[in-house]
Amino acid sequence: MIIKRNDLKRLVEDLIGQGKRVIAPIMRMGLVEYGEIGSFDDITWDYINPRNSFKEFLFPQTEAIARYRIGKKDVELEGVIPELRETIVLGSRPCDAASTASLRSVFTWGAEEDPSRFRDDFYLMREGVTTVMTIACLKGDEDCFCTTVGLTPESPEGSDILLKETVRGNFAVTPVTERGKAFVEEWRDYITDEREDLKEIEYPEVLEGIDTGKIGARLSDVDVFDDPVWQEVARKCIGCGACTFSCPTCHCFDIVDEATGYEGERRKNWDACQFEYFTLHASGHNPRDTQFKRWRNRFLCKFHIYPTKFTSTGCVGCGRCIRVCPVALDIREVMEWLSR
Amino acid sequence: MGHPLIPAILSVGQIRRETGDVVTLTLEGYGRPFRFRPGQFNMLYLPGAGEVPISISGDPGKMDRVVHTVRMVGSVTGLIGRLKKGDPIGVRGPFGNPWPVDEARGDDILLVAGGVGLAPLRPVVYDVLSRRKDFGRFLLLYGARTPDDLLYKRELHRWRGRFDMYVDVTVDSASSTWKGNVGVVTALIERARFDPYHTTAMVCGPEVMMRFTVRALMEAGLKEEKIFLSMERNMKCAIGLCGHCQFGPYFVCKDGPVFRYDTVKELIWRKEV
Repeated sequence: MIIKRNDLKRLVEDLIGQGKRVIAPIMRMGLVEYGEIGSFDDITWDYINPRNSFKEFLFPQTEAIARYRIGKKDVELEGVIPELRETIVLGSRPCDAASTASLRSVFTWGAEEDPSRFRDDFYLMREGVTTVMTIACLKGDEDCFCTTVGLTPESPEGSDILLKETVRGNFAVTPVTERGKAFVEEWRDYITDEREDLKEIEYPEVLEGIDTGKIGARLSDVDVFDDPVWQEVARKCIGCGACTFSCPTCHCFDIVDEATGYEGERRKNWDACQFEYFTLHASGHNPRDTQFKRWRNRFLCKFHIYPTKFTSTGCVGCGRCIRVCPVALDIREVMEWLSR
Repeated sequence: MGHPLIPAILSVGQIRRETGDVVTLTLEGYGRPFRFRPGQFNMLYLPGAGEVPISISGDPGKMDRVVHTVRMVGSVTGLIGRLKKGDPIGVRGPFGNPWPVDEARGDDILLVAGGVGLAPLRPVVYDVLSRRKDFGRFLLLYGARTPDDLLYKRELHRWRGRFDMYVDVTVDSASSTWKGNVGVVTALIERARFDPYHTTAMVCGPEVMMRFTVRALMEAGLKEEKIFLSMERNMKCAIGLCGHCQFGPYFVCKDGPVFRYDTVKELIWRKEV
């Protein structure tokens, strides 16, 4: 199936006209990022991968979960139900789409087998109204390493619909999930059954020195805590948290009150295991008291805890943590070290 | 039940000052029976100040109240300690895995507490005493910093006066007016009488105290699978989502706070997990 560029434009304009939220890559202050578009022409097509991941549209950086008012003798407190808008992510990359499976696995952990267990309804309600239309990458940049962690520039994981560019500038359409099939059915008038040749997809090189199986095995032995790699490679980490905030699979959050006088909101905000206060107890005891230990925790979370506890990948190889790191700490160096 | 992240507002009933920096609050107005199992915790919330995970220290058989023993150590607990009767306080819970009291039927029960770590074990005492015949010997070993830091003094006296319970107390340091034991809690294990092959131990206290207690229990002959610890981590959501209490592959709020020793033995000897 093919959707012509002009029909894709009509489709997007129709979706926007229906009041739906369309998220796509846009140019903002010289950088490409995922953002809500007002028209099809806002979309930037020349990009490798946006600066941010689209997780912020499912799991906002900050959101109110309750509001309270303190009276003379009592407190009124009421939960907030998030406002939902049907959302279409157009132009996601396969790595980012795959990350939704990782977020979902944490936010529904154990609840699928046992419904009495807790789920993150704030995330799940948003995910439930979101359709992910991924466009396969034509090439990566020097920091992309999806092929090293088991994905490819055309992986369908996590996408509802996978689009691939054709040599004539149109898109081949492959519905992946039931939601994607229903979407294609709904907009069938814009989609033709023609066939066109696809543009060639250039895979990022598989990094030879890295073996995620070996890394997992190495990390399951607690002696890895004493490996010199943490001191040698991760010591330069300054704990800014940029890697965690730009990471599509990092899910940690904090719950804090933001108040003025006697009224306020209880908010769920992104947090990062890279911050000193993340694990600090009121008593002063801090289990992860120095920065390299916090960096080590993040690495263990991605390559040991996610795969064993949630049976999902903790790293999708998007390369954002490498691009944004102010001290050029490259996660691939540590992966390579632990693959030896 | 509402959303697990949204607290219910209760009010402070009876307040008991246990020591200079520890209070026990009885909270009222839950609106329905409050059911919990010994070892579980609640999140206590003061609007505008924040939320803290605090173990439940009351009697699981008394479902008309929610009881917490709080040490005033941080900004939120400092304010909780200054609450007055009738003041509102947010509560959500109970959360976490409990002590294995049912599984320990038939065994000797050995409780080892350090400092405010006695609070999450007190519900076990109430539970065991309410069906005393189901268990073998019942022992409570308790260590505190000084005699002034001992919690629940009146109850300790009462429990000590029973013929079906053994209570031994020690302090780290004391003036000459103290006629009891001085020393670490592990020293109490050597002279306590229990059947090491049929004993379930439940341990709660500072991490360093738990490490040495486990070592002493194993020297006494207990198996790893019969030793249980209650871990402490900075919990925020309490429902296994937010990542704060990550302890190796575990989230303490959901996989714990009570862990069987053999499941955490690789981690507990590392201070920085």
